[in-house]
This record gives sequence, C-alpha cells and structure tokens, in this order.
Amino acid sequence: MTAHSIAGLIALNLFLLVVGAAVLFGLRGWESWGELIRLSGLAYMLGVAATGVTLVIELVAGLDFSLLSVLATGLALAVVSALAGHALGHSLPGRRSARGRLSLTAALFGALMIVYSEALFRSGRLAGLYEFDGWAFWVPKGKAIYFFGGLDRQFFEQLPGPSYPPLVPAFEATAFSFMGSADVVTLHLQFWFFFIGFVAAVIGLLSQRVPPILLWPPILLLAVAPQVVGHALLEEGDFILDEFFALAALLVGLWLVDHRPWQLAGMVLFSAAAMSSKREGYLLVACIGVAALVASSRQVRLMWPPLLLAITTAVALTLPWRVFLHVRHLSSGGAEAGGLGLFMHADRAWPSLRLATSATFDYDIWLIVAPLMLLAILGAAMAGATRPAAYASLVFALAISAFTWVTWAFPSLPITKEAALNPIVRLTGSLAFASTALIPPLLTSAWRGRGSGGIT
Amino acid sequence: MIAAARERFRVRGPSQAIVVIAVLATCVLVGVRYVKALSQLNDTASRNSALSFEDREIAGGNSIVVDQRAPYEARALIPPDSPYRVVVGSRLLDRTQLTEEFVTTWLTYFLMPRRPEPDADWVICYGCDSSTLGDHYEPVWQDREGISIGRSP
Repeated sequence: MTAHSIAGLIALNLFLLVVGAAVLFGLRGWESWGELIRLSGLAYMLGVAATGVTLVIELVAGLDFSLLSVLATGLALAVVSALAGHALGHSLPGRRSARGRLSLTAALFGALMIVYSEALFRSGRLAGLYEFDGWAFWVPKGKAIYFFGGLDRQFFEQLPGPSYPPLVPAFEATAFSFMGSADVVTLHLQFWFFFIGFVAAVIGLLSQRVPPILLWPPILLLAVAPQVVGHALLEEGDFILDEFFALAALLVGLWLVDHRPWQLAGMVLFSAAAMSSKREGYLLVACIGVAALVASSRQVRLMWPPLLLAITTAVALTLPWRVFLHVRHLSSGGAEAGGLGLFMHADRAWPSLRLATSATFDYDIWLIVAPLMLLAILGAAMAGATRPAAYASLVFALAISAFTWVTWAFPSLPITKEAALNPIVRLTGSLAFASTALIPPLLTSAWRGRGSGGIT
Repeated sequence: MIAAARERFRVRGPSQAIVVIAVLATCVLVGVRYVKALSQLNDTASRNSALSFEDREIAGGNSIVVDQRAPYEARALIPPDSPYRVVVGSRLLDRTQLTEEFVTTWLTYFLMPRRPEPDADWVICYGCDSSTLGDHYEPVWQDREGISIGRSP
C-alpha cells in the first residue's frame, strides 16, 4: 500500500501496453501515430490477453514463474508479433501527425469519464480484501505462484475452485512481482487498469465509426451502474472475464460487417483469455460463436471457415489447462447435475430462467443496460441492419440461456440473487459489458438506416 | 447554419425515434447516477483511508480472527519456510459466527508462504484444548482470548 507498489503497477501496465502495441502491429499495424494512440486501449487489452494466455501455458508446462520470466515472455511476444507484422507487410508510419478533431460531446463525456476514473482509483487505492472468494482462493493462488514460482501442487489442489483456470492468479502474481511484495491492498488497482483499458479499447474501436453522442452515454451508463461502482476492483476473475468477452463479442460484430482478418485474430486472443479466466468463458465464447455462425448463415462458404478456425484456435489455446486438470486428477468443473441431470431437475428450469432474466434487467444492478440493448437491436433491425441486429439479439438470447443453464445445472445453487449463494449477478456482468460495447454501433445503424452498410 | 443543424438532426422514421429515446433516457440516467456514483466512490475512499494499517490488511479477517495480534504474531514467530497447523476448539472466550468455520482458511491466505500441514511442529491453537497437543507443547505467545502459538515437536 505504498507509492513503491503503485509505481510497480504502473510499470507493469506500461509493459503490457508495449507488448500489446507489438501484438496490434502484428495483427493490423497502424496508418498513423494518431491511430496508435486511438487504439492504445485495444493494444493494452491485447497485451493483457496475449500475456495472460501465454503465462497460463507456461505455468501448465512447469516453467518457473518470476519477474524475469514475465519480462522474457512479454519480450518474446513482442518480437514474434513484430516479425509477423513485418511478414504481413505492416510498417511503421512516418512522422506525419494525425489531425484528430475532438468534438464538444466527446470532450464533455471524456472529462466526465476522467473524473469518474480518478474517483474509482481512489476508492481502490486503500481497499482491503473483504470478499470471501478473494481471500479464500483467487489471491492465495496468486500468492502461491508468486512465492513458489508455479502451480504449487498443495495450494492448487487444496484451495477451493481447483478447476478455475489460472489467468487471474497469474496476473496477481505478476503484479506482486512488479510491486516487490504480496501487497493485496494495492493489488486492487491492477483491476482498475483492466477496467480503464477496456473502456479505452471500446472507445478506440468505435470512435471513428460511431458519433460521440451514441458512443459515450452507454459507456458512462455502465460505469455508473451499481454493480460496477461497488465491485469493479474486486481481486477476482469476474470483471476481467466480462471485459475479454465484451471485446471478443464486439470484434466479431465488427468482423461480420468489415470481414477484416485482424478482427477475428483479436477475437481469438480475447476469447482464449476469457476461457483462461473463468470456466464460464467457454459458455460465453460458445454464445459468440453460435450467434456469429447463425448471423452469417447466408454466406456459409465465405464466413464460416474463418469463423470456425478462429473459435477452434481460441479453444486450442486453452487445452493445456484442461490437460493439466486431467493429468493431476482434478475436477474439470463440469455441471453438478451431469449430462442428463437437467431432466431430473426440470422443475428448476423456469425459476432459473426467471432468475437469469431478472438479474440481467435488475435496475439496482445494471440500471437500464439490458433494455437499452433491446431498444438498440430493435432500432437497428427496423433500419435494415439485419445482420448486426440478428447477431446482437442472438448473443443476448444465448447468454440468458447460458445463465439459466448455470443455475439449472447446479442444483445446490439456491434460486436467489444473493451473491454469496448464487453467482448469477456476477454472470450477468458479461452480458452487460458486451451490450455496452454493441449498443453504440447498433444505435448508429438505427440512425443512419439501411444505406449505412450495417453496423457502421 | 441553424437550418442545416435542424436538417441534420431531424428524426426520420421510427428507428431514429428509437435512437432519440435511447440517447435521451441514457443521458438523463447518467446525469442522475453519475453524481451518486462519485459520492459512493468518495465515501468508499474516505472509509478506506480512515482504517488503521491492521484493519486494512486484515480486512475480511476482522470478522473471523477475534484478536488482530494473533495473525501478526504468527507471521513474526513462524519462519516463512516452516509449516504450521491450526487447531480450532471451543475454548475461545470471544468468537464470531465465522471464527471456528473459517479461521483455518483465512490463516492459510494470510500466512503464505508458510504452508499448513497436518503434522507441523508449529501450532496455532484457536481455543483448542492444549492438553491434546501433547506434553511438549510450548506456547511462545498467547492472549487472553484463548489463542496461543507454539511448538509441539
């Protein structure tokens, strides 16, 4: 809880930004330095995703974890990405300056966001670790990696949630290494960086294609939602999962219109990172995949092969962890009710659906994010942007189905929004974040109408 | 200029009406909730900064450990590379509803890198009957609540 720890975290996140910039160069390059600044949030989140997925694979492979190994990992990622970018013909732009114009709306909402970010930072700077899941297993796993240099057999088998993938503990251990101690108080700020990185990534991706008045309000709406204000900086895996999922969903939504390969490549990294953060990541990525496949079903030959390849690659990146669980004879974290158990608990289906829906639409949790998403989908559909509207509505419906399944398939979970008893509120965060990323382009389609070329 | 702006923002059709409704509703709600969110975040920051170092570091453990000195003494006495065990009993003078069930889990988190092991020499006796720890149990530290830390070789 010292300035030294904060300086360590700043160094870590600058490091992730540099790694992510190299990954961005490998994926798409940039036409001007102004464009790189605009996409710096995306670059940062790509750095987080790529580094996190690689750290998980290294831990599973038994490589010693240390500050040096993290630096070497980032350096290797940056070099490989730079070489890939060079091979793909990407080059650094000259010194010509980009002439970005900041609208009054963007300046006003941007200022509000900066003030909010400062307040969120202060709320986390001296926060204690109160949440049960945090001190019972998320942070102890991070400490175990930090102190013992890997997936210590005793702690990773005996602590609760042994099947949870270790991306978040790996980042907690990385943060401890950069801070120089297991400072669980200052660690909250690492989750501030993730949240701000997510917001910057969405703004960077959309600011050239969405008017500021349609871009900023939904983002600020999410930021001031009670669940975000109260829980965004928890030292757990839920919010980073939501952020990865939302960025993957947004990139797929953009790819359905633009067909740019780098968008799918980015989706691969964010999907793999989501699945490496929490088990629910698999369910959520399946929602994106199915929604995209159905939304592009009129162009099966053109769209499905790259989409299926992307999803397969993302899943493949998480296979080492699944193999690790199998080799160590640890629970894979499957449904409590088993394969056919759902039918034995059919009486839970309707209450589970009602719970999932009411948590998603609960004003005291997510304000009006979900109704706004439905309104945006309706507007886009009426304006003729059928593919984006179909994709977004399928993501929404499938995510609700997935949340329903979780309560239904785990009969020990009571039907309640009480966070200590049922994870439904935390689960719905993924849809709230994804909705926030998808609402601005949908509203833009609704405003510009059929001639706008869909989501743009 | 006014005419151009009016033309630009003129609502044409139901889809644009939906956009206007959505944006207006969102802006109004953001306006209302923004102030409340800032106030809540400021309150949280103030509450956090008013805490003592111990309250902040122990945090969730405050509803479990009964005596803040016990975990700090355990950290000071038990070497980082020595295992320990926690023996919980019913002889605590004071306790919370969570103490008996969660003190072992919380100490696992707090005392890392020390490892909990069933046969460790170092013992953290949380209201336990020390006679069950053997004749050689020597408390190095104890408080009036019924917590002691010692070795039972």
